[in-house]
Amino acid sequence: MELLDRYLQAVKKHLPWQRQDDIIAELRANLEAQLEDKETELGRPLTKEEAEEWLKQIGSPIQVAARYQRQQYLIGPGIFPTYSYILRLVLTWATVIYAIANAVTIAVSNQGGEAVLRAALRLPEIWLINAGVVTLIFVAIELLSVRFPEKFGALGPMANSMAGPMTAQWSPMDLPPTGAGDGEWAKPRSFTKALLQVLSGGLFLAYVLLVPHYPFLLFGPGEWYLKSLPYQLAPVWWTFYWWLVAINTFELAWKIVDLARGAWQRPKNRAKHLATHALSLIPLSVLLLAPNHVLFLLKNPADAAKLGAALAGANKGVLTALTIAFAVVVLQIVWGVIQASLDAYRKRVAR
Amino acid sequence: MGYSMTLTENLFENLRMELRRGCLTLAVLAQLKQEHYGYTLRKALAAQGMEIDESTLYPLLRRLEAQGLLTSEWREEEKRNKRFYRLSSDGEQIFARLLEEWNQINTSITNLL
Repeated sequence: MELLDRYLQAVKKHLPWQRQDDIIAELRANLEAQLEDKETELGRPLTKEEAEEWLKQIGSPIQVAARYQRQQYLIGPGIFPTYSYILRLVLTWATVIYAIANAVTIAVSNQGGEAVLRAALRLPEIWLINAGVVTLIFVAIELLSVRFPEKFGALGPMANSMAGPMTAQWSPMDLPPTGAGDGEWAKPRSFTKALLQVLSGGLFLAYVLLVPHYPFLLFGPGEWYLKSLPYQLAPVWWTFYWWLVAINTFELAWKIVDLARGAWQRPKNRAKHLATHALSLIPLSVLLLAPNHVLFLLKNPADAAKLGAALAGANKGVLTALTIAFAVVVLQIVWGVIQASLDAYRKRVAR
Repeated sequence: MGYSMTLTENLFENLRMELRRGCLTLAVLAQLKQEHYGYTLRKALAAQGMEIDESTLYPLLRRLEAQGLLTSEWREEEKRNKRFYRLSSDGEQIFARLLEEWNQINTSITNLL
């Protein structure tokens, strides 16, 4: 039957070459016997349409040939949980290391916001490269453990040494206590704690308001030494100071309202915490955007020739420290947002 | 409505396939206590109510042979070369253990119902 020959030829193309002839000979014998039975039953040869329908029922050549192939995975179910765990670990650490390295580079080379944007835009490339490398390693592990099980079979459960709690070597005693994932966010505060937070917020605000009148409160005995120095703070520090007062006043007002409304009986609000944390970026930005990057001035401009270099060094050093602090706060906020989003997603899925 | 029916049907079909997969192996091993070639084995299974597609059965025979559970030989029958399969001695042992497992599962499910 010509159609059957054509069908078997098409199946053969997709079979593993070492076993092609053997498989086709067996398939031919089985299908010819089946065809014979059909024709005996009908008392005549199959029409072209009937033969076509019969072969369609058996399946497309690619499908039929695929059943003779070994089931293959790029990363099989045996090592996938370890792969997923390592991938998350690598991506997290790659992000942290990349962010710190860039924050320091940008700070030291005194680059502006454009450099920060450039670094942020390169982040997906960093993720892609790291994910690619991890994936390639695990594909190689899968391939080796399947092809050479006697030599590399032990790589399959390699998670024993790498993923701790996911594997045979884990112990129930290593597991974190229940609710540890939610941490302090799961627990409501006590009334005393909420009251103490209002009182400490009030005292801190009073302290901040008194510092300009009594610098001793901030610098201690060092105040007299600072007075003797030929440097003074640039006017931008006043802007910084009033932002600090405004934010602390806002936070104190919020805490008082919370106390009055009994909000302390509810678990802490992570979004609110993140928002107040984000507010701290404003005074830092004020200093980072100081006109001409000047945070300190000479009391007597005539000393510029003698003390100009030292002054520039002081300005640069403090700006570097502030840039690093700014990057750390941004990272904390991003991390907090990621955690909050994951928690919200988990809660939605669990419902 | 139609969409959700399709989803239900797909789900049922997937679960049915999963349920049948292990049973097919057991049925093939049971039937190959006597020698058969692919097509007659398929007919014998169908006669017992266990229909299996050609594209599932024939590769399954190869896999079971590669695993050492079946032996095979090419022989001429009715002027046609055919590959005959039968249970190997390892296959007999494994089949006995699988059968025991199957009976336990069957009893448990019956008790549960």
